[in-house]
Amino acid sequence: MVRHFDSELQDLRDGLMAMAGQVEEMIDLSQAAVSEGSSGKAEEVKAMDRLVDEQELKLDQACIDLLALRSPIATDLRLIASSLKIIPEIERIGDHCCNIARRVPYIHPPILAGDALERLAGETRGMVRQAVDAFVNGNAELAREVIAADDKVDVLYVQIYKDLLRIMLADPLCIERASNLIIVIKNWERIADQATNIAEEVLFILEGVNVKHPYLHQPEG
Amino acid sequence: MPITDHQEQKPVKLRARNLDFSYGDKKVLDGISMDIFAEQATAIIGPSGCGKSTFLKCFNRIHEVSSEVRVAGDLEIDGVDIFRGGIHEVELRRRVGMVFQKPNPFPKSIYENVVFGPKLFGVRDRDILDGIAEESLRKAALWDEVKDRLKESAMSMSGGQQQRLCIARALAVNPEVLLMDEPCSALDPIATAKIEELIFELKKEFTVLMVTHNMQQAARVSDYTAFFWLGRLIEMGPTERIFTNPRDRMTEDYISGRFG
Amino acid sequence: MNLMQKPRMRMKPQALARWTDRIMRCVLWVIAIGFIAVLLIFVGAILKQGWPVLNLGFFTKMPESLDAGGGIKPELFNSIYLVALSLAVSLPTGIGAGIYLAEYAGQGRVLRFFRLCIETLAGTPSIVLALFGMIVFVQTLGWSFSLRAGAMTLALLNIPVITRVTEMSLRSVPPDLKEASYGLGATKLQTILKVLLPYSATGILTGVVLAAGRAFGESAILVFTAGTNVSSRFPDFRLTAPGESLAVHLWYVTSDGTLPDAREIAAGTAAAMILVLLILNLGVRFIDYRIRKRTR
Repeated sequence: MVRHFDSELQDLRDGLMAMAGQVEEMIDLSQAAVSEGSSGKAEEVKAMDRLVDEQELKLDQACIDLLALRSPIATDLRLIASSLKIIPEIERIGDHCCNIARRVPYIHPPILAGDALERLAGETRGMVRQAVDAFVNGNAELAREVIAADDKVDVLYVQIYKDLLRIMLADPLCIERASNLIIVIKNWERIADQATNIAEEVLFILEGVNVKHPYLHQPEG
Repeated sequence: MPITDHQEQKPVKLRARNLDFSYGDKKVLDGISMDIFAEQATAIIGPSGCGKSTFLKCFNRIHEVSSEVRVAGDLEIDGVDIFRGGIHEVELRRRVGMVFQKPNPFPKSIYENVVFGPKLFGVRDRDILDGIAEESLRKAALWDEVKDRLKESAMSMSGGQQQRLCIARALAVNPEVLLMDEPCSALDPIATAKIEELIFELKKEFTVLMVTHNMQQAARVSDYTAFFWLGRLIEMGPTERIFTNPRDRMTEDYISGRFG
Repeated sequence: MNLMQKPRMRMKPQALARWTDRIMRCVLWVIAIGFIAVLLIFVGAILKQGWPVLNLGFFTKMPESLDAGGGIKPELFNSIYLVALSLAVSLPTGIGAGIYLAEYAGQGRVLRFFRLCIETLAGTPSIVLALFGMIVFVQTLGWSFSLRAGAMTLALLNIPVITRVTEMSLRSVPPDLKEASYGLGATKLQTILKVLLPYSATGILTGVVLAAGRAFGESAILVFTAGTNVSSRFPDFRLTAPGESLAVHLWYVTSDGTLPDAREIAAGTAAAMILVLLILNLGVRFIDYRIRKRTR
């Protein structure tokens, strides 16, 4: 019986991995669409989102079934409860990719000099990959790295945001592309937040400690 | 020090320190140190033969009735040593009531079962006995079901009713602690639910220490859970913590059903 | 093919089991009916022979030693009185010893010796007890052939039976009842008196009835200790009175041969004994039923 339960849990993990893999692909595609200005790739991203949504429904049901039929406790309980929270995070990442893809027609020709936009996308993509790896391999160190990396992304985001403001002030003709780019970078920054949330859930699965909102655990004053 | 991680507001009712216990040459308990808090339900879980029932029975010395036993270490109730503190075992058993695995009513009427204890202590007055019977049966959530057939034999009741009668019988001597040795293992789910509901009520007034094989039951009714293995206390803590985040690998394996 | 054969293979042992079951049931029925038949024929024959003799006069007249038409009034009285006297001695002793063995005794060597004594006493032929009783009570203590000598020797016969049945009944009390009692703070004595004895009462009662029946039908012992005479007074409650019982009377009239109607007297006496035993057993069954009904 336990063996069967274990294989059901493995199925859940595999399902989450597959869904995460799909989303990682969407991230790659939308990054390419942005840098190449390819509307074809942008359309592909939107098409993939449907698959991700379907997987979300399937995995949600799997979690509810496991809760109802197996009365999981301890690690099993934490895995399933956290999966229920990780699944929508992954789904949201897919939505953010779609949002980015939708901006592709309005951001060309490029107005940003340098590779800051690529760095932001690359950093975010790395966080998502690491968060998924941490989940798959049960690696708490990796999860902590993800949480730490979020600050870097925030710094990059603010830096690009300020650059875009400067460009808009200097050249009103760039305002439309710049404001669309702001939406793009906001979405990258949001994806990094989702990755952080996933990493926090992974830590809860592995260690049973909720690391969210650390300020609440500090003594007042 | 006992293995627990919670600062409880309630006083310690029962305390074990380095308790060793043997039946003849066979060591059953090995250095148990544990605090049991007043007006809380504490559940002991663990595989068969881990010594959990023995530990429970130590607190009213009922095992001494039928076997040769050897005990070392300290066992206290309200800070007074159970073995050496001058508490006579008969008095101890009045203060520490027990409910057994199998419902074991006496082959007497329902009424006679409940007033068995009080009569032992010399209560003869009919009105007082009637009052005790009603109060105990009410506390055991049985009064409404049996008030019209108190003179009928307890053997005519269902298993779940018999077990609640046994609880009423234990309550009739006004104990401070209730020991329950797998009180629902012989009952169907509905009767089990009733007993669990009852334990929830009883722990407001009594200190409840129970042994159970049913993990979900421990989770449902107890405030503290202790895991025993091979005569040792592996881990004890607030039930929520034990069931979401046990510290010990063995506890985890046991409660999630991966033992052995 | 295979699929067709398999179910038939499985049917076979089932059918076999069913037939074995039926045959065994028949065999056991035959044995049971056989026993009941033997018993009925036996009792029937005794009652048939004795019935013409059984009238009010037979039960209310004194026995004759030379003439026909004697009764069995004092013998009937002595039989019942002797059983009662012997139980007065053997009940407290036997039940007490049984309680001791079941609840208090440990596992020591003394105890094993004690147990051996009881087993031996239980297995002693009654004629040996009879001679023992005659030597000790009748001669050494100088009680002569009397009710007290008879009752004491009968008690010796009954004590081991009652001891054993008491011990067994107490041991058969479910241990969880005992635990329940101790768990409520009962002392050992309270547990014995309020839980163990009431629970095992029907078992002990059955044993006591068996012992009483055996004492009632006992002849060898009483011939040598209570004698073959009856008191001229009636009823004579004195323990020193001679105490011929029904069984002894039965033996005496058939072996002595001075009575012209010895055959009839013997048949009547036997029938009277059967009747008394029947009434005794029925009465006890009734009490037993009442106890069971109250407790279970």
